[in-house]
Amino acid sequence: MSKHQYAMVMDLNKCLGCQTCTIACKKLWTDRDGTGYMYWNNVETSPGLGYPRQWDRIGGGWKDGSLQPSPLPTMDDYGHAWEYNYEQRLYEGKKQPVMPSPEPKSGCNWDEDVGGMNEDENYFFYLPRICNHCTHPACLEACPRKAIYKREEDGIVVIDQDRCQGYRYCIKACPYKKIYFNEVTGRSEKCIFCYPRLEKGEVNACAAQCPGRLRFVGLLDNPESPVHKLVLVHKVALPLFPEKGTQPNVFYVPPFNPPKRENYGKSIQDDPRVPLDYLIYLFGPDVKDVITRLEAELKKTQEGGRSEALQLLIGRDAETRFHIRPQFVQIQL
Amino acid sequence: MRIRRLLITASGVLLLSSMIWAQAGAKPAAGQSLSVAASSASADSLLKGGPAAWNQIAVKRVALNRTPPLYDTDEPATLEIPSVDVRIARAGGKLLVQLSWRDPTHDAITLAEVSNTPPETRFRKVQTEADDRFFDAAAVMIPSRSGSGAIAPSLQMGDAEHPVEIYYWNATRGAMLMQAQGRGTTRRTGQDFPANSAYQNGQWNVIFELPDLPVGTTVAFAVWNGSQKDRDGRKYFSVWQVLE
Repeated sequence: MSKHQYAMVMDLNKCLGCQTCTIACKKLWTDRDGTGYMYWNNVETSPGLGYPRQWDRIGGGWKDGSLQPSPLPTMDDYGHAWEYNYEQRLYEGKKQPVMPSPEPKSGCNWDEDVGGMNEDENYFFYLPRICNHCTHPACLEACPRKAIYKREEDGIVVIDQDRCQGYRYCIKACPYKKIYFNEVTGRSEKCIFCYPRLEKGEVNACAAQCPGRLRFVGLLDNPESPVHKLVLVHKVALPLFPEKGTQPNVFYVPPFNPPKRENYGKSIQDDPRVPLDYLIYLFGPDVKDVITRLEAELKKTQEGGRSEALQLLIGRDAETRFHIRPQFVQIQL
Repeated sequence: MRIRRLLITASGVLLLSSMIWAQAGAKPAAGQSLSVAASSASADSLLKGGPAAWNQIAVKRVALNRTPPLYDTDEPATLEIPSVDVRIARAGGKLLVQLSWRDPTHDAITLAEVSNTPPETRFRKVQTEADDRFFDAAAVMIPSRSGSGAIAPSLQMGDAEHPVEIYYWNATRGAMLMQAQGRGTTRRTGQDFPANSAYQNGQWNVIFELPDLPVGTTVAFAVWNGSQKDRDGRKYFSVWQVLE
């Protein structure tokens, strides 16, 4: 059990699917050999295939205290990284058009903006995903080499690259499929919650770059932090697939607006554009209470009142959204 | 009733003794000895000379066991590689161990070479081609402290009192020396060792060059079949053998 726990809240009502977080993460952490296909942070259209494809149905996680089986996703499920033939076109004078290779057949946002149909109306929202830095991580339990550990000081789950031997039991065990195998190094990798940034008092790159200002970061156990307020005080954010049993520390404010077309003023629960069953599938049955709570807050402000929860969710500035405590770094001489 | 109880007790003792033997501190039984040929050839010629260099050296077929499923989530595996043929020669102050076994699936690739230039300054990176393949491998395990007499370390990667060295060879990633003091403690030393391998007609021949070891040293072998998703303790293993 870690002494503290960093957590992130993402407000799905504000995500515009611009992938700025994805690129911020990619440029910072996965611009190396063997990492082309991996996105420690990805944004997928929900409902949709997801990344890797069908990750929500592959397996892993806990049931009755036991790890659940799962196959490894394949590269076709992730989508191969492709390169462009710029050299031939720009430097070797060949007249072919600039083309990607290998031919892209799937990818991390392959079915972007497709979504689903609710009777005659299309619906979707964006689901940004990082490692959940779970309180009860299945990956940690599955690693026979004890290469995965949860940092005592902040609850961040990391893979010791010196111990990892690339067995990939962790990838199978993670119900969110947020660990990636690097065949070049022969080790597995994952989101590190930007701990080197946090230690210097800087927020995670994905959160810092987010133009939608939908990410909130802080210690879950610190009453001053926005994540503590949103998750534990206002109770408007929920983990993804809580039934997988890993107790994620990334929480989502579920999409609660709008109702269907031409039904302005109706509650989303009376006439939801996003079927409630789908939200329950993602966030568990508590999502109904959260939507009810958010609608009540919205009504309060529409009637001229003030909602602490909604003021916080607007997240006007970095001071509101992030509560980072620079850590004392011990220098060993 | 009494007979049944006796039978149960007897089988219990047998099971218990075999478990203790697998754990630590037991003497390998007779018949588990390996003769070491004294070779006039150089260590290098045995390492790189191909099958002809080894023709004169006596072979011993060592039975392999399959580890039981270690995790509930494991796929089942079958005993596809029942034995490994072992030849050992002492040459030029080295001990050369040749392991040969039949494996119809050749699970090895040649990884693209990674440039020493920092990746961020390069136009192209080497990419992960597949994330779900595993490679054939083999290993020779010896006690870290030779001459420890009759006490063999636990077969499960040694134990706290009896550390082991593992000369591990992987068909894709090459040779690396590892150390362990019990299950789950295996660590890379960062050192490698000379090894050579060839795959022909459904058979692996892998030669390990070890430092010379005294008579009476225990050695154990392991084989992994990549196409069976073998890695970690999911493997074939021999019991301890004794060098003669």
